[in-house]
Amino acid sequence: MNQSRLLPLVVLLVGLIVITVAVVPLPTPGYDSVSEVLLRTLHRRLLLVAVPLTLLVEGAILYAMITFHANNDPKPTEERPSFEITWTVVVVLILLFVGTSSYLVLGNLTVSAGPDMTNSSRPVDVHVTGQNWFWEFTYPDEEVTTTNTLVLPANRTILFRITSTDVIHSVHIPALGVKQDAFPGRTTTFKTNVTKAGTYRLYCAEFCGVGHSTMLATVRVVAPPEYQQWLQQHKRTQSDRPQATDAT
Amino acid sequence: MVLVVGIAAGTAWLLRSIGRSPSPWTDGGTVTVSDEVGLPGVVDLLEWVLTIDHRRIGILYLIFGTFTGLWGATDAMMIRTELLNPEAVVWTSGTYNALFTTHGLTMLLLFVTPVFTGIGNYFIPIMLGADDMAFPRLNAIGFWLLPPALVLVRAGLITEVIGRLFLALDLDLGFLFAIQPPELGWTLYPPLSVVSTNPETDILLVGLHLSGIATTIAAINFITTIILERSDSVSWADIDIFSWGMLTMSGIILFAFPLLGSAFVMLLLDRNFGTTFFAVKSGGPLLWQHLFWFFGHPEVYIIVLPGLTLVSLILPKFAAREVFGFRSMVYTTLAIGVLSFGVWAHHMFTTGIDPRLRMSFMVVSLAIAVPSSIKMFNWIATLWNGRIRFAAPMLFCIGGISTFAVGGITGVFLASIPVDLLVHDTWYVVGHFHFIIMGLIVFAMFAGSYYWYPILTRKMYDRRLALVHLVLTFAGVWIAFFTMLIVGYLGLPRRYATYPAEFTLLQQIATGGAYLLGLGVLIWLWNMVQSYRMGPRIENADVWDLKDIGQFTREWQWFETQLEREDE
Repeated sequence: MNQSRLLPLVVLLVGLIVITVAVVPLPTPGYDSVSEVLLRTLHRRLLLVAVPLTLLVEGAILYAMITFHANNDPKPTEERPSFEITWTVVVVLILLFVGTSSYLVLGNLTVSAGPDMTNSSRPVDVHVTGQNWFWEFTYPDEEVTTTNTLVLPANRTILFRITSTDVIHSVHIPALGVKQDAFPGRTTTFKTNVTKAGTYRLYCAEFCGVGHSTMLATVRVVAPPEYQQWLQQHKRTQSDRPQATDAT
Repeated sequence: MVLVVGIAAGTAWLLRSIGRSPSPWTDGGTVTVSDEVGLPGVVDLLEWVLTIDHRRIGILYLIFGTFTGLWGATDAMMIRTELLNPEAVVWTSGTYNALFTTHGLTMLLLFVTPVFTGIGNYFIPIMLGADDMAFPRLNAIGFWLLPPALVLVRAGLITEVIGRLFLALDLDLGFLFAIQPPELGWTLYPPLSVVSTNPETDILLVGLHLSGIATTIAAINFITTIILERSDSVSWADIDIFSWGMLTMSGIILFAFPLLGSAFVMLLLDRNFGTTFFAVKSGGPLLWQHLFWFFGHPEVYIIVLPGLTLVSLILPKFAAREVFGFRSMVYTTLAIGVLSFGVWAHHMFTTGIDPRLRMSFMVVSLAIAVPSSIKMFNWIATLWNGRIRFAAPMLFCIGGISTFAVGGITGVFLASIPVDLLVHDTWYVVGHFHFIIMGLIVFAMFAGSYYWYPILTRKMYDRRLALVHLVLTFAGVWIAFFTMLIVGYLGLPRRYATYPAEFTLLQQIATGGAYLLGLGVLIWLWNMVQSYRMGPRIENADVWDLKDIGQFTREWQWFETQLEREDE
């Protein structure tokens, strides 16, 4: 059968396409953090395969609908194992591509730290505590605590240690590609490095009761000198108050 | 309040108009023969309540499912209305939170499964040549457990209505108002669900447990019927694809629902008797997530497999050829049933569980896309070289598979752990699963409702209204749920009663799409009721010209003998 001979070619073509898409470097316009670059680049890589595939499937449905509408010569269904094998192999190839590229990104996400401006060996530690219905950020090295405002230095490795005092919350900063649940009695971690100064929104992404949608915080990313300045200033105002929180 | 009055007035009008004799103008003058359908008497009603006939129980299931579906759809319309505005101005945040909780629970547990159980109850014994379901009395019990389950699950609203009625009689029954609709999300995650002081939370858990028992009873009945009650002429190879779907669904139910029931009991004990299954210092909130999703993901396939196989059953009838790759259709159905138990932790990628564990769940979640895609290609191959007829059941099947493509592909995105980190718990997820639930499952139900309408009612539906319904529903799905994908990718979390103002326009577009869906459902309901009352009577059992293409299957043959018997 002439058509069947084309099938290995289809498999080969799909294989070549997914390998190309898997390795081709993609530009990272306007991405603000190392984790955002990783996550959104992967998302676009998948889109490069998914969008043509979706269009192909929808196109095939539409084409079949129009072409074979009121077709006076319907052909009986035959067994066509070669076709079935072909599209199974094609789907497996595509999913292998999805799995492998996700695996690589996941590895990078937990290992890679990105450029650290100050060459310090330790990341900036931030303890994030969610509770109904606000966020508390503690900088244990600096003995500083803030509420609903998170200030971070740009181009430094940030290590979030996340927990909750009551129900489950979730730290979600979409513009920086940060998401990690906050469980009571447990500490979860997330590492990133913000490459661009700016103001970002932190949402709570796990339903936590009536105030869930108001549990927002502001993330302000500033240059390291400005960050130090902010810390000093904050320490002064905090020590002025007698009820200053003990950060450790 | 306005809503309650509106519903009451509407019901009163409907009851009155059913009693009235039909007027000839509503059907556009195309009808020649029509007979009157009056209100049933007390004896008739009693017959329905006490029936153990599989067809009557099937119809009871369908009526129940339609009712719960409409109720869940009302929740959805209220959710979308609230979201027209970035602030909580239409309803309070609390009401909004209760709405998405009850919407999810009603639709997943009390709407989809009862509807497919109803279709299966009516048609599977006929299609397999069985006299009835294997356990007719159990069948009736299984159904009659559902209405009390519904009352318990939706008690918060029901008690409020009763309380208000008594308030009008100067009787203040305060305890009725203490029972509030639950504000937990359908996933009922502790500690939130444990610390909730609302007594309805306990009533809800009992109701859900009851519905689980009802579902399990029905599943046992289907398994026994399909395996043992077939007539001698129906061998394993002759079982139709929809029965295979129901068999697999029932198998999954048998393993998933008892576990859910145990988890509910554990939660009830934690709430009321001081046990510590899900306490922070004991099993921990994560234990609930493991138990819940070990049920919860198979549940997704419990509701989708009947839909997928119903499409596989109806599609070839209007393409004038047999379904392509029948055997692979069966094997993929069984494969999905098995794999569905190995993907649950993909709902927990952001909880901080071991990356190696996450990786294995990602692999299985990707693998389960293989059988689903094979089905998709088989459907397209069925259409290819066929003779496609644009009847309402066919158009709903084609529309369903085209939206299912998007639902499936976004599912692969969500299976990828890094992409899931980006969009987990955002509107993206909501858009994704509605593309499948509304886009495929409900489309398949609509297809089935039109395809078998002649058998169920002896009447024909209004074809023009069916087309309007199709267009509204198809456009509604794309507008509402594609917009949700965008909103979610932009980062807005789900379950947000209020939201930042920059999302207003997109949310309003999604609401517009949802309103189209709602309008479509109303037109469908009108078509079903009015056509039953005064649609043209079916005289020839071969409504879809299935004899010409050799697909005049068993249920239609049965229908033909029924018609002949009536003529005598």
